[in-house]
Amino acid sequence: MISKKEVKKLAFLGRVELTDEELESVPKKLEAILKYVQKLSEVDTEKTEPFFHFSETSNVFREDLSNKEKNGMKEEVKKIKEHKNNYLKVKSIWG
Amino acid sequence: MGITIKETQKRLRDKETTPEEVVANFLSLIKERNEEMNVFLDVFQDTVQEMKKKDSSLPLYGAVFGIKDNILIKGKRCTAGSKILENYNASFDATVIEKIKEKGGVFIGKTNMDEFAMGSSTENSAFGPTRNPYDLERVPGGSSGGSAVAVSVGMCNIALGSDTGGSIRQPAAFCGVVGFKPTYGAISRSGVISMASSFDQVGVLANIVEDAKLVFDSIRGKDERDSVTVDFNGGSVETKKKDKIVVGVPKEYFIEGISSEVKESIEEALSRIKGEEIELVDISLPHTEYALPVYEIIMASEISSNLARYDGIRYGKEDTESVMKSIEDLYMKNRGKGLGKEAKRRVVLGTYTLSSGYYDAYYIKAQKVRALIIDDFRKAFQRVDAIITPTTPTLPFKIGEKIEDPLTMHLSDIFTVTASISGLPAISIPYVKKNGLPVGVQLIGDRFKEELLFNIAEKFEKIWQT
Repeated sequence: MISKKEVKKLAFLGRVELTDEELESVPKKLEAILKYVQKLSEVDTEKTEPFFHFSETSNVFREDLSNKEKNGMKEEVKKIKEHKNNYLKVKSIWG
Repeated sequence: MGITIKETQKRLRDKETTPEEVVANFLSLIKERNEEMNVFLDVFQDTVQEMKKKDSSLPLYGAVFGIKDNILIKGKRCTAGSKILENYNASFDATVIEKIKEKGGVFIGKTNMDEFAMGSSTENSAFGPTRNPYDLERVPGGSSGGSAVAVSVGMCNIALGSDTGGSIRQPAAFCGVVGFKPTYGAISRSGVISMASSFDQVGVLANIVEDAKLVFDSIRGKDERDSVTVDFNGGSVETKKKDKIVVGVPKEYFIEGISSEVKESIEEALSRIKGEEIELVDISLPHTEYALPVYEIIMASEISSNLARYDGIRYGKEDTESVMKSIEDLYMKNRGKGLGKEAKRRVVLGTYTLSSGYYDAYYIKAQKVRALIIDDFRKAFQRVDAIITPTTPTLPFKIGEKIEDPLTMHLSDIFTVTASISGLPAISIPYVKKNGLPVGVQLIGDRFKEELLFNIAEKFEKIWQT
């Protein structure tokens, strides 16, 4: 059984704050899904290699050049909600 | 009710209509019905000007597109159905958008969807549910529900969607249109907001197979910005037997739990295509029953990783009320308020299945069974040219009916998810209407054999229409 405490820990690792209502409902939903996927234990995979890629994909390399004319930093910063002197403005954090 | 690209192009070429009139007709229908069905999140005002700039000899000239709101169009808002992106404006065009622009197509707006494409009903959108045009109390399917409805009622000629576990084919079936998902790697996903990257593909919702093929041919191909894409010419159209199409009917898809309306329709559809040119053979895909659990684990794992980038700092929902104690606290609060219930639930599940103690038991186990499912199809395609199945196990369900139970909701993807797991091309073709609601038939093709799949689909479409 997945406890509320465990779900809290997972939510912290995934960086999502859950509401009180979600802290009640998520453990149950998670439990139901984990029980459901237990079905996979019926399958003998002793000699099976796990799947990772469909084809022989390889890394795509390019020259390390800046792309200033295409998307200037100023353009990008302008899209951000709060910005000043080309920097993005965030809330102060007190810890 | 829909209007095909072919039809619009012909009328434009014969000077029976003008770009102004084409676009005005779509816009007036959107104005009239968007409020009641919640199809478009944003409607553009520059469509006519764009069309008038295009060369009329281009292959997509005249085609008016609806675009699912997880595909970037430069300068336009792109929300992915989420509050966390509600004020995000795209800074570049997705490769598919670039290609449509080059080939003469234009855009009329962005369509509603389940948040980050997570859902099978378009009820999970932060901007409210979309409704099925055949019965406003029912869902249009999802997650590309807005795109399916837009094409079905004729608010545009054609629409792009994305398909991770059935998100194009299932809404296509529920709304009575054609829904096509390509082979994994056939169409670039650069500029498409990721959900689960080993499944995600861009595809088309259309009124007829021919339109879907036209758009596929215009947007496919290798793109250095999506490393899984490959160059191919549409694939060989050769069939296994000379002058005959061999179609596999997998017994695992005719199971208990499939509704009587769908069962009757598919049996009727099969009996009508059977003949000298088309041979139906019974096949078995023995690992089918494990497809949903496999999908559930891998999809959630990939989501928890893909959604990590949304922190609410640069754009989107920000918690401005709370005092932040730490940077983690800031992330948690911004994401806690910006992401919807379903997204959060999947992030938590994916974090669990990827955590060090459970990684082998869940994620690796699922990837092993995935390899077996892929192998089932590989064996089947040694004998057959295509596989035929129902697209969904039931008719469109009622809004609210399944939203609280993720497992029941995911059952509506049971017939579409296998092609996603295996990276195969698949198409849903509307068959008939039962009790006033549409039923879809799915054809699955072999990897990179789109050309053949479209040939077969067009043949069947013709038989079923008469």
